[in-house]
Parts: sequence; structure tokens; C-alpha cells
Amino acid sequence: MLLEVKNLNAGYGFLQILRDVSLNVDKGEYVCLVGPNGAGKSTTLKTIAGLVKPMSGDILFKGEPIGGLPGNQVARKGISFVSEEMNLFVNMTVNENLAMGAYTIKDKQQQKDRLAFVYDLFPRLVERRNQLAGTMSGGERKMLAIGRGLMSDPTLLLVDEPSFGLAPLLTENVFQSLDTLVKQGMTIMLVEQNVTKTLAVTDRGYVLENGRIELEGRSDDLACDAHVRKVFLGV
Amino acid sequence: MVEQAEKHLWARLLAWCRSLAGATVIGTIVIALIVTVDRGGYVLVNTIVTGGMTALVAMGLALTLGVLNIPMFAHGEYFMIGSLTAYYVFTPIKTYMETHPESILALWGPLVTIIAAMLVGAVAGVVSEVLVFRQLRQRSRENWVMNSFLLTVGLSVLMINAHQLFFGADFKGITGYFSGMPINIMDVYISKDRAIAFLLAAVVVTGFWLFMTYTRTGRAIRAVSQDETGALIVGIGLNGIMMLTMALSCALAAIAGASLLFMYPAYPSVGLEPLYMAWFVVILSGLGNVLGAVMGAFMVALLKVMTVEYIGSGWDFVVPSALIIVILIFRPSGIFGSEVRGVLDK
Repeated sequence: MLLEVKNLNAGYGFLQILRDVSLNVDKGEYVCLVGPNGAGKSTTLKTIAGLVKPMSGDILFKGEPIGGLPGNQVARKGISFVSEEMNLFVNMTVNENLAMGAYTIKDKQQQKDRLAFVYDLFPRLVERRNQLAGTMSGGERKMLAIGRGLMSDPTLLLVDEPSFGLAPLLTENVFQSLDTLVKQGMTIMLVEQNVTKTLAVTDRGYVLENGRIELEGRSDDLACDAHVRKVFLGV
Repeated sequence: MVEQAEKHLWARLLAWCRSLAGATVIGTIVIALIVTVDRGGYVLVNTIVTGGMTALVAMGLALTLGVLNIPMFAHGEYFMIGSLTAYYVFTPIKTYMETHPESILALWGPLVTIIAAMLVGAVAGVVSEVLVFRQLRQRSRENWVMNSFLLTVGLSVLMINAHQLFFGADFKGITGYFSGMPINIMDVYISKDRAIAFLLAAVVVTGFWLFMTYTRTGRAIRAVSQDETGALIVGIGLNGIMMLTMALSCALAAIAGASLLFMYPAYPSVGLEPLYMAWFVVILSGLGNVLGAVMGAFMVALLKVMTVEYIGSGWDFVVPSALIIVILIFRPSGIFGSEVRGVLDK
């Protein structure tokens, strides 16, 4: 098991968001976490990424406990988090942003290889490589955020709302690149609001409601589930 | 193709000249030249020396603002620490030189002094970060800017009074690092100390800029100032970077304090004037903007020198303060905008 989350409770200050969340991700899997607004999807990812401190519960990555470690140490273990707000370095160029993504990689050759890999995945970024990240369009910034996340050669990619604020065509592009990554063996955990689309592309899914995991199963089963259809798809 | 690239470069240069930042820089240079022609070369020399040293202090201040998000009002005290260290290191060297005039210390003594001051400044920065600001950071839930601001004021009072308690309130100064005739460049006499002070400022500013632009650590510092969460995500340890930033910015202030010891003798509140100057610069050039601080430092220095020249030496704080009020009313983001996100946008 690559990632195991057991009975995780987490939140901000006195406000508890997650209640006894347990989930796991196997190597090479494409797993999604869906749920209504405010269910705690982003909080789950942030807690795994070390940006929110867990109140209790365990997070194991490759069998090693990582719960409560600061974000930079979680990143060094091989978990890359692509946040919803992207957190790009807006006054750095695309190239510099990507170089920062490889901060944990010391080997020059490996840095070059990663850069070539990311530019291969997002040819659009090559044209923009000397442009400041803050001056790019939303879709390009999303690509850059994912690209920066891939620069550290992660084992697990956590992606939060890749379609947020994007035009349908660009959303399609982003989903395609995630698909390509999974085909190349990457493990991805995806949080999305676009439930139909997400359940159509992922292998397995968890449904989060009010901070609890309500349902879990194969994505195509979840897509047919009466509860899911009623709550998310309105049918 | 080449022609096109050149045309592009020219277009960009023209656009920059028309922007507020470019217009201000060019305007400053033109005014500096007019004043020089009108009053003589020493005006330019004064501007450049004062500007270079103000740049060192202001750059540190901009860095603390940008990376640690602290509106630092104790920064002048690191300047004071620099001048105090320089005094206590250089006095024995000077005594030794009087009996051994041929010693190599005559040439290298001042450099040793300034390096010592830089190291002590850096250590003081690290100590204040670890003992004071990190403690607040771990406990602060909200209102970080206000709390850290109050803490810096307290730190400043503490350091000024500690100086008075342990070293006394008298002026501890030197006549100069280098003896001998001033250098004559085109009928302008520059004392060796001033020339060295400016050279040092130029070297340090350039070195610092190269460090921030091309090294992995320098980039990490910029990354933290632009987006803390983003920096964490890519694996940058915030504690280490913040400690390094404090060390760097305090070392810069201490270098300025040490190299200006011949003008500003060490006494408890010697840091207040450079602190206010640095704040003028930082507000003028945009909060947290490190490169803009260098340009801003020369503008403030020119303004000060011109005030002394045309209005009178008692007015040299009034005019820059008035300008700051005008800037805060009409363009609170500063002339150069904010290259890195400053304290107000966070």
C-alpha cells in the first residue's frame, strides 16, 4: 500500500473538518475523492501534504508515518501536492518556477531530464518559458502548477480541483495530461467537483460528506450508485 | 531575426522609460546631474556614498518584510551592533598599527573589522529570529503583522538600552579607517574611507543580487517571499530560510554600520537615522521589493543631499518625510510596484 490514512481527524484551530477519515491508495492507482462543497476534500489533501496538522489518526506513506510532518519534509518523501490556488511563484518565470519544483533534486542531469519530461507533457509551457507565472492565463498556470509538482519526480501526486476556474476545453486538456501520467505509471489522488467526469476517468473513488467517508468503491460502480446519482448528479 | 530581437529590446526599453519606475529613475539621474553641474562634484559623491550605504540597510529591511513578513523597526540596532563591533575590533588594530606602521594590518585591518562586524550582525540576526520571532510565529494565530511590529519596537528599545548599560552612552568613534590624503578625481576630493565605503556597498549589493538570482538558496528565499505555501510544497524548509534571511539582512545592516563608523560613531541610538532612511526607501520603492530598494536608496540619498544643499541641514529629514506622506496618499504600493509580495498583500 503506497498511502494509508487511518481514522484521520483534522481541522483548523478549534474547527474540526475531518472525522475518522480512512482511505488508501495503491501504487499506480488513479483514485478520486469527490463530495459536495465544504465536505473536507481539500482539507484531506492538505493534511496528507503536511499543510494542515492532524488532530489524531495516522498517515502512512510507504509504511512510514508522515502525519504531522511539515510540508517540506512530506514533499521530500515523494508526495507532490498541486493545490487548488496553485501557489505559483508569480514573479518568477515559468522556467524558474519549474526549477524551484526540482528544489529537492540535487543531480543536474536528473533536473534536466525532469524539465524535458514536463515540457514534453505540456508543450504550451515551452512557448511561455520566459514569461512571469503571474501574467499567464488560468489554464497555463494550472499546467505550470502540475508541471512544477512533477519536477520533483514524485511517487504520489495529489491534485486539488484541476478544473477549478477553467474553460471546458482547458479542463479537458488537464484531464488528458493526468491520464497520460497515469498511463506512465504515476499514482494520482484527485479531488474534483466535476463528479461525472472524474468518475469516468478514475479507477476508484471515495465519497466524502460532512468530513466522513460515506461511500467507497470502483468509480464506475459509484457512478451508478443511487445515492451518488441523487446527491451529485441530480437524477 | 537579430534585427527583430533588437527592435523588441528597444521597444521594451522605451516602454520601461515611459513607466513610472523608468521615468523616476531617469528623472533622478537627470536631477543628480543638474545639481552636480550647479553645485559641484561633491554633491554627487555624497549622494553615491550615502545612497550605497542606505541601500545596504534598506535591502535588509525589504528582505525582512518580504520573506518574514515583519515590519522591522529594530533594523537600525543591527547597524548599531555593526558600528559597535567595528569600534572594538578596530581600536586595538589601530593602536597596534601606530607602533608597527608597516604591518599588513594597515591595509587589511579595516576589512577584518568589517568582516567581524558582518559576522556579529549575522549572529545577532539569527539569535533574534530563534529567540524572538520564531517563538511568536509558533504562537501567533492572527494579527501577525501588528504583533511582530510591536515585538520589533520592543527589541529595539531593549538593544538600545543594553548598549547604554554595557558600553555606556558616549560616542565611540574613529577618525578614519585609512589615513592619508583624499583621492582627487576631476577636482573632487574624496576621502579614502568614503571611496572604500562606496566600493564596499557596490560589491555587496552586486554580490547579493547575484546570490538572490542565480543560487539555489537565493531562489528559495525569493520563493518563500512570493508564496510560503508554494515554497513548502516544493520542499523548502521555512525555518531555515527565515533564519538565513534574518542573518543576511542583519549582516547587511552591520556592514553599513561598520563601514560608516568614521561618520557615525557608535552610540546607543545611532541606528535610528539609518532605520528611518531605510523605511523612507522601502515605502518609496514598494514594500518588500529588494531590487527597487537599491534604486530607492539613491533617490532618498539625492533628496537628502539636495535638501542640505539648497534648504539647510536641519531640513534633511523633513523633506523625505513629506515625500513619504505624499507617496502613501497617492501611490501606497511604491514607485516600483511590488516585485515580491509585501506585507500589505498578505
